[in-house]
Amino acid sequence: MLNYELSEDEKDVLQELMNVAYGNATAVVADMLDAFASLSIPKIRVITTTELLSTFAQLKSESYFFATQSFSGEFSGESAFFINQDSANNLAKHLELENEEDLDDAILELTNVLTSSLTTKLSQEMDTEVSFSLPSLLKVSNTTIQETVTFKQYSQVIVIDTDLNFQDQKIHGKIFILTKDESIQWLKTKLNSILELLI
Amino acid sequence: MKYLVVDDSKLARLSLIKSLKSHIGDEEIFQATNGQEAIDIMTKERVGIIFLDLTMPVMDGYEALPRLIEIDHKVKVVVVSADVQTKAKEKVIALGAKLHIQKPINPDKIEEILELI
Repeated sequence: MLNYELSEDEKDVLQELMNVAYGNATAVVADMLDAFASLSIPKIRVITTTELLSTFAQLKSESYFFATQSFSGEFSGESAFFINQDSANNLAKHLELENEEDLDDAILELTNVLTSSLTTKLSQEMDTEVSFSLPSLLKVSNTTIQETVTFKQYSQVIVIDTDLNFQDQKIHGKIFILTKDESIQWLKTKLNSILELLI
Repeated sequence: MKYLVVDDSKLARLSLIKSLKSHIGDEEIFQATNGQEAIDIMTKERVGIIFLDLTMPVMDGYEALPRLIEIDHKVKVVVVSADVQTKAKEKVIALGAKLHIQKPINPDKIEEILELI
């Protein structure tokens, strides 16, 4: 297994590209929910799958709605969206949903819009295209997440970690973009060529 | 005229400065990586136009914006942000920004900004 690390410049470029993509995606979701989201700075890390799973476990809440969507192309990987039970209930209230089935549907649609627009914009900024799978939704408790998720197919992942935060509605979510091993080298080359154009 | 580019991202600063240099002469361009650094520069230098990001560590653009204008009422602040929500735009204009421009910046956008303000 190759051990990839991102230089400070590579992290900076990826963070800024993600910032732009995340701003766009959040605006789409904010329109959809007719609410205002506060943006935070995306955090970039290269970690092992074991570390990733322990990161997920540290997201302290008893149960989560956990939606994932994989994408493929030169840039390939998976996006994951976490929303806890309280936020999901607040989302249901905000959207005046009447039953659990409608809430599942709303979370899937939210994930689809959020992660598709995020990954599409990120790919556009890197002059490439990705295709998407349908998102899938899991309701898992913290203790079972390690057995449930599919991330075992990755050895190392670049994790781009951002928050979706609608303060007034008390809806908070976490978005992770995970890139597969074979994409990491492609991504590093791309990030460097973007920076070299400016120097 | 002096310019100040405020962004925590090196990529964003380099990109904006490159675009800016294609439209201005040898004028001085200062750089800051957060709102506090921008305030420190503004207390020492007479800057005409500030390009200000919103999401930054230490002090973000929302907090820095009114303080920068308080230091010099004549300074023109252009917010350059990835936050394209209508309410974000309204908020920065209410705080005194002349314009809210969507990231990423390019030479065409800079030309437009310089014409507008």
